[in-house]
Amino acid sequence: MKADKTIAKAWVKAQGRASRSRTSVVVVLGLLSTLLGLLQAWALARTLASVLTRDTDSTGPAIGVFLLACVLRVILSTIQDMTAASAGIHARRRLRREVLDRIIGEGPALLRRHHSAAIAATLVDRIEALDGYFARWLPAASLWLVSQWLVVIALYVENHQAGLILAACCAMLPIFQAVFGIATAVASRKQFLAMNRLQTRFLDRVKGIATIVLSGGTDRETQALAKSADDLRQRTMKVLRIAFLASATTDVAMVAALVLIVVTQAHTLMGHPSDAVLTRALYAVLLVPEAFASFRALSAAYQDRAHATAAAEAMHELAPLTERTAAGPDVLQTKGGISVTAENVSFAWDEQRGTVIHDVSFVLPAGATLILEGASGAGKSTLLELLLGFVSPSQGRILFDGQDMQSLSPRQISSRISWIGQKPVLFAGTIRENILFARPDASAEDLDRAVSAAAVDQYLSSLPDGLETRIGEGGFGLSGGQAQRIAIARAYLKDAPLLLLDEPTSHLDPKTEAEILVSLKDLAKGRTVILCSHSAQARQFQGWHLVLDAGRAIAFTGEAA
Amino acid sequence: MSAPLPTNPVAETGSETALSRILQVWRPQYTRLITGMVIAELAVCAGLALMGQAGGRIAGAAVGAGPAYLLLRLSGVSQIVLRYFERLYTHDAMFRALADLRVWFYRKLAGGAAAGLGFQRSGDLLTRLVSDVQTLDNLYLRILVPLVSALLTLPIATLVWMRAGTEAGLLTGALFAVLAFILPLMGARLSRRFGPDILRAESELRIAALDLTSGLREARAFGAEDVLAAAVTDRQETLFKAQRRQQTRMALMQGFAGLIAKAGIAVILCAVAGLLFPQAPAIAGITALFVAITVLEGVTGLARAGLLSGQVSHAAQRIVEIADRAPPAPEGNAPLPAGRDLRLENVTFRWTPDRDPIFRDLNLTLRQGERAALIGPSGAGKSSLAALILKAASPEQGRILLGGTDITTLRDSDLRSQIAWLSQASHLFDDTVRGNLLLGRTDIPDTALWAALDQARIADVVRNLPDGLDTWIGEGGSKLSGGQGRRIALARVLLSDAPILVLDEPATGLDAETERAFLETLNNATEGRSVLLIAHRLTGVEKLDRIWRLEDGQVISSAC
Repeated sequence: MKADKTIAKAWVKAQGRASRSRTSVVVVLGLLSTLLGLLQAWALARTLASVLTRDTDSTGPAIGVFLLACVLRVILSTIQDMTAASAGIHARRRLRREVLDRIIGEGPALLRRHHSAAIAATLVDRIEALDGYFARWLPAASLWLVSQWLVVIALYVENHQAGLILAACCAMLPIFQAVFGIATAVASRKQFLAMNRLQTRFLDRVKGIATIVLSGGTDRETQALAKSADDLRQRTMKVLRIAFLASATTDVAMVAALVLIVVTQAHTLMGHPSDAVLTRALYAVLLVPEAFASFRALSAAYQDRAHATAAAEAMHELAPLTERTAAGPDVLQTKGGISVTAENVSFAWDEQRGTVIHDVSFVLPAGATLILEGASGAGKSTLLELLLGFVSPSQGRILFDGQDMQSLSPRQISSRISWIGQKPVLFAGTIRENILFARPDASAEDLDRAVSAAAVDQYLSSLPDGLETRIGEGGFGLSGGQAQRIAIARAYLKDAPLLLLDEPTSHLDPKTEAEILVSLKDLAKGRTVILCSHSAQARQFQGWHLVLDAGRAIAFTGEAA
Repeated sequence: MSAPLPTNPVAETGSETALSRILQVWRPQYTRLITGMVIAELAVCAGLALMGQAGGRIAGAAVGAGPAYLLLRLSGVSQIVLRYFERLYTHDAMFRALADLRVWFYRKLAGGAAAGLGFQRSGDLLTRLVSDVQTLDNLYLRILVPLVSALLTLPIATLVWMRAGTEAGLLTGALFAVLAFILPLMGARLSRRFGPDILRAESELRIAALDLTSGLREARAFGAEDVLAAAVTDRQETLFKAQRRQQTRMALMQGFAGLIAKAGIAVILCAVAGLLFPQAPAIAGITALFVAITVLEGVTGLARAGLLSGQVSHAAQRIVEIADRAPPAPEGNAPLPAGRDLRLENVTFRWTPDRDPIFRDLNLTLRQGERAALIGPSGAGKSSLAALILKAASPEQGRILLGGTDITTLRDSDLRSQIAWLSQASHLFDDTVRGNLLLGRTDIPDTALWAALDQARIADVVRNLPDGLDTWIGEGGSKLSGGQGRRIALARVLLSDAPILVLDEPATGLDAETERAFLETLNNATEGRSVLLIAHRLTGVEKLDRIWRLEDGQVISSAC
């Protein structure tokens, strides 16, 4: 907890530094606006004093100065608003880039620790929520103290007594804030946890809503949701109760200053006061709201600061950026596949759950096929993830063409492999985009070749817009077989020497499975293939067999097996 | 799974109707919401009195009126107290209303779930609930409360200003009205143009982010991280562009509002000075001036609220639109019949009118306690049959009877308590093993859980998990293997005491040996219940009374 706080603080500080130049423009504009505020108050006090003392000569010019100051101030604050907005955009752009790099840096292993929705929420909502931090909080935080004491000094110069009263009331603010500010920070940390939990829970419940409804759990789930929504309200109110108390203290300081100044100044005005005395008294009263305006802007942005701390913590949960040094050559001889060697590979997802792959070794020559067998949970998928480079062995090593995977960058690994899983993730977009995803710079001929090799063209004519049909979430629904053909087309387009197949037909009926297997066998030609599948049909693949049982290799048999 | 879900066309709901629907949902909170507005107005009046008194007292002292500070002190204290309670009370009322809205939305969603939901993007739905509902807090706190309070303040402030001169007072009152009502209205118009763009861009950004995070495996395997990251940054730029447009307009609008506020102050000031207007009495004039400064600056922010209203009404529209998706079949209230025979009579069904029917004139009877298999290739409509039986979809023609009663006349919950369903899409929740088995029920002892796990042949695996039943299984059961997850889902179904089990491809993802063992246990575990086994093939170990083969929308053979 303590360490977390230090990290959050360091992060917040670093953010402040990174956007200093943009913040300072906003701050300078704010200071100018305060100076205009002083002029405005003085001109107004001057006008009123001249009216009250019936000194009509100076009324006109004073009103003129007042109006001019008013207009200038409005223009300034409009510019200030726009500058602040662009500071917010600039900062969010920079941060989102950083978070993207971190997510990509850690890759699929991240999904073992965090819900994909939670990562997406960090990437989108947390960063969007930081807009106020950069656009409002940072400028207000650097501005308020200077601006407030500028007003106090300006008043003291003209009117000692009122200046001292205002100074005393302003000096109370940091004390109030220290007390309530800490309490708010602690409480809001809890609130953000509750918020995040509600979001994750809701997405999960929406994904499974059919399961819930059809098992008659709607009422129970709705009640659970109501409870967590209420929990959120209570937590938020806990934070707000203190936060509002903190802003009430501002009201206390301001009202005290106002009442004291009115009462004391009214005494000095007994009898027939001079023009100057009256101006000073009115100036004092008019400057009270001005002195507290900058602090109010800061309090209004207080929530924005809390967002920053929460964002810092969420980002801390992502792994820091690590530069993996690329040692191997990038030029590859793809024809004929590559050899794959596993040397005493062991792996554990975490200590507590124990080792899931024990000391597995095999040598697979270039162009050969390896079929992974074993009951569900025997470690086949984990072994594939190791071969994909999503995770690294705890012990032992895996070699591609004699080169340790550890010495290869993720990009170099991915250039060597194609992967087809149980259910391909199709992205929101057209079929063309979904296939080109494997190689965005592919030529039209290459794309056509991949489309026909994977037999995607067989069903294209039945789709409304052919290759341009929008699919994926919210788009046109494809059957499992059709989706799998897109994955095969991706693999053709990619043309990598090693093909990893993770139960590619497990969700298909026998007829579709047979058709898909024909395409897969075609794809496998001239490549090294590692396949794991339960299906009897899929075992028609000729090749080596590796049988896993509880993470151990219990048999490794040769080709004709 | 392959069953295409209908895109339910919903008539474009007008934004006014959407807002009034939302206000209806809030009805139970009306007392609180209105009380909040009243406190808000009282706080405004206290602030107004405070500044008015401050100006008036100084002016009074200057012209030799006697000192009287009671009202000043009183208004000071009440302003502090009222402002605190106003904030606290309005926020609390708002959060209560928002919680009601969330629950209402989820309930509505559940009503039309199986029919419409499958086609909705889950990322988009998340936006709708979390972000749109959040946006709606603006409706009360930043639009309704200030607007109502401005409406109540207008006559009070105008009366004060008229003491500085009738014309000047009325003119300032008019400027106040422009600030509080006309500018926000213009703002609302403006934002009706931009608000939807921002929400849409945000939603698109969220989809791109979810594409990246849920497709991290694909991204790494294909070295396509940059493509997905570029999609995120592209959509971010679209969002920023939309935001910048709105922010610029907002700043300009705010500037314009500032000028109008200053004009109002200038009018009173002229009256005080005797320029253009007849000169006001000093104390009344200066009191009016101080009130003008406070009140006009207070409502300057309402222009911003107008801009917000576009976003708010769009959010309301989307929430209502989703919520109004009609449930697939009407709900009845007939009592449950005694018999458990399930019978389909001349059922014709298609998901959308533009597609071929999945069933044509289908007739089937599953007698109580009978075990039947429905075999057919994927896409033949096997899962659609489950949807029909569970009233997640309704037939175009024909009817479905449970114990001789048409299921459309039954209560949904009654029907579903009689039929337990294991589908390919059965969802594993990001929860513990126990939570996944119970789905919120509390009336089942652990021994029953273990018995179900045993029957589903997963008990040993669960026993070896670090926390047993309390082990967290991750998103979609990601911490288990595919086969283990399926068996947890099966255990959940076996746990229900429904007399009819619909098992849609229960053995998907199991290896041949486990599948065989699993089907054998199924034979014992389902003793005495009706079973409808939906599969694309049989292994030979199933004990069955009937086998139906489905092809081209018809049962073409029935054996055993």
